[in-house]
Amino acid sequence: MSELFEPKIVAFVCTYCTYAGADLAGTSRLKYAPNVRIVRLPCTGRISPMFILKALQKGADGVLVSGCHPGDCHFTHGNYHARRRWMVFRALLDFTGISPERVKFSWISAAEGSKFADLINSVTEDIRNLGPFDQYQQLIKETESPATL
Amino acid sequence: MTRILFSDKLDNCVAKWRSAGLAVIGPVQEEAISRYAAVEKGTDFDFGTVLPDRSLKELFFPQTEPMLRYTIKKNEIDTADFTPPQGKRIIFGARACDASGLEIDDPLFGWDYKDEFWFQRRNESVIVTIACTKADDFCMCTSLKLEPDSTKGADVLLRPIDKNKGWLVEELTDRGREAFALISEYLQESSEPALPTVVVPEKFNLDACVTWLKNPENFESKFWKEISMRCIGCASCTYLCPTCHCFDIQDEGDTYSGIRRKNWDSCSFALFTMHTSGHNPRSTQSARWRQRIMHKFNYFPGKFTVNSCSGCGRCSRQCPVDMGITETLQAISNL
Amino acid sequence: MITQERYRTTVKELLANGSIKMAIGYKPGSTPDRRRPLFIRTSEEAEQLVLDSTCVQNLSGYLVSEGLLSDEKRVGIFLRPEGVRSINILAAEYQLNADQIVIFGFDSTGREVRPLDGRSAREFSGLLNELKEKPLQIYKEPLLERIEKMNAKERFDFWQEEFSRCIKCYACRQACPMCYCRRCIVDSNQPQWVNTSSHTLGNFEWNIVRAFHLSGRCVQCGNCDRACPVNIPLRLINQRMANEVLDGFDHFAGLSATQEPVLASFKKDDTETFIL
Repeated sequence: MSELFEPKIVAFVCTYCTYAGADLAGTSRLKYAPNVRIVRLPCTGRISPMFILKALQKGADGVLVSGCHPGDCHFTHGNYHARRRWMVFRALLDFTGISPERVKFSWISAAEGSKFADLINSVTEDIRNLGPFDQYQQLIKETESPATL
Repeated sequence: MTRILFSDKLDNCVAKWRSAGLAVIGPVQEEAISRYAAVEKGTDFDFGTVLPDRSLKELFFPQTEPMLRYTIKKNEIDTADFTPPQGKRIIFGARACDASGLEIDDPLFGWDYKDEFWFQRRNESVIVTIACTKADDFCMCTSLKLEPDSTKGADVLLRPIDKNKGWLVEELTDRGREAFALISEYLQESSEPALPTVVVPEKFNLDACVTWLKNPENFESKFWKEISMRCIGCASCTYLCPTCHCFDIQDEGDTYSGIRRKNWDSCSFALFTMHTSGHNPRSTQSARWRQRIMHKFNYFPGKFTVNSCSGCGRCSRQCPVDMGITETLQAISNL
Repeated sequence: MITQERYRTTVKELLANGSIKMAIGYKPGSTPDRRRPLFIRTSEEAEQLVLDSTCVQNLSGYLVSEGLLSDEKRVGIFLRPEGVRSINILAAEYQLNADQIVIFGFDSTGREVRPLDGRSAREFSGLLNELKEKPLQIYKEPLLERIEKMNAKERFDFWQEEFSRCIKCYACRQACPMCYCRRCIVDSNQPQWVNTSSHTLGNFEWNIVRAFHLSGRCVQCGNCDRACPVNIPLRLINQRMANEVLDGFDHFAGLSATQEPVLASFKKDDTETFIL
């Protein structure tokens, strides 16, 4: 048996919903895959597509972006703006050959601790099945710069 | 009697050079652009284009190149230098303007700090120039007092003979003689005449331009604003130029470790001279275009006694708004 | 020829009566098939004006060059329909006041040039709405269709090959009327989001960022594609994004000066099939 590939995943989450959901998962003692590094931001509206690119640039195999359900945004419509942006950005990544399977989006509320744990498990499993993002990591390697993730 | 290299022997020559450890590079037509690139056999070459889209400069001074690796620790900083890549090579089929460009830049890279990346590559490269028998509307080497068969920067000069049959060989330097000694078995004595080189009309009076540029009164002339009004401030002219040599040093990485790189930079960009304070001494595009012209025909020759332009015309050929050195110097000649 | 002559006369008249302070048009370039931008301030300069099917550059970017419109005087400009759309977007994004722009519209089929009715961007709304309904030819570019049929790996390889040629001269950015930022994201270095080096990774990042920032704003004028000295097919990527916002949000960039930018607005029922 070859060793199981452990993907590196970066999750950009909003502090009001998904981060609180992750917190709930923790306090509920739910166990989930340890492959995700969480970056907490004020709102999904603050999650610039640059963040996703930066995560890939530093060697991530996958990215997860998550925030409040529509209608629940602390800032009333940050997530609506984000949703449009994601749709366009996702199409762009797809067109340039960065599989949309590697960049996932979700809504997770503060009450959905178990959804969070399940999602992390399933995203990790999906990206594990896709394997390391070799094409991108080859480009990083050519730059000689460290990919410190 | 001169020696001739027949085109049908080119395959053998390439093989010979390669087996002697020389990488062979020449003008190549790729799907999207033409450039100087590695070739493996005679048919890889494309001698038909007037001038490759991209200049020879990038083989000596690439658009981005790592210089050193750093690691910052608690009490010390470790650094490791990158060394220039080693490897002898022969550039077969350079244009005279491109080869001249290299020689123009030599004093610049060796003037104060000797740029080992540049000189290592220079010392390991044999440049074989092929005299031009074709030119297009943008070629202007003669205006720069160079010729389509200029030997400047070349180790060997080849003159095409009729019907693409081959080239008359003129060895110019020891390095050239050495490289051609390897293929001497494929050279034949012949009295076949070389094709005449192309006549490139003179487009402007260089001396008159230089005199005008040297006059300090013209620094603030309205001319600069008028001529550069349509300049959009991209760097296609400087990056395709065989003599433009400005670079920027960038660190890529993070607080703890990374790579220091040398990247092309261009005086066309506002950021080129932007101070940290926000003040920009060249705040307008006209000031930036003036700098480019002044540098090429006034400051550079002032320091190194040679104009920083070899007349390839790429700046005009590729300009998105149809500007370029030719137009500007023509306008100055007519002032 | 008639169109050109008429417009010459019109420009001279408008300059003479002070309706416009300048007109931006085209004049002959360094070879017979080239045209270069012309800034007309006098009737002598108007004599140089050329208008034919080879006038393809979208000139609207010049309008936002520093200080040109700050005196609130009107400026005339020769524009194809895409150029008019650019004006609308620039106005919608508060970069200029559309009332300050006097449009000399034209379009061409084959070698034939014809004038377009209207002097202000507003008057073109009928024409632009028609354009939305029957999109440009390049919508159906074979290469675009070929790329769409590839799998992710093949697409990545395709673009890697294309972007590896990029030299980061930023001609695409400078030629684009929509790239008016005083400081581009690639020029911001605290933090440095995009690698400034033009290794393939840096080129990949730059081209993705550029395309994203133009999503829903690009009018397919082709300035970037023509400006690229290493012939990267930038139009394809822009076209793909234009298709995306048209299909996804029914947004056709530059329909009017009051159109909401697609990525700065939303609908509560926007599609979200991809969200887990």
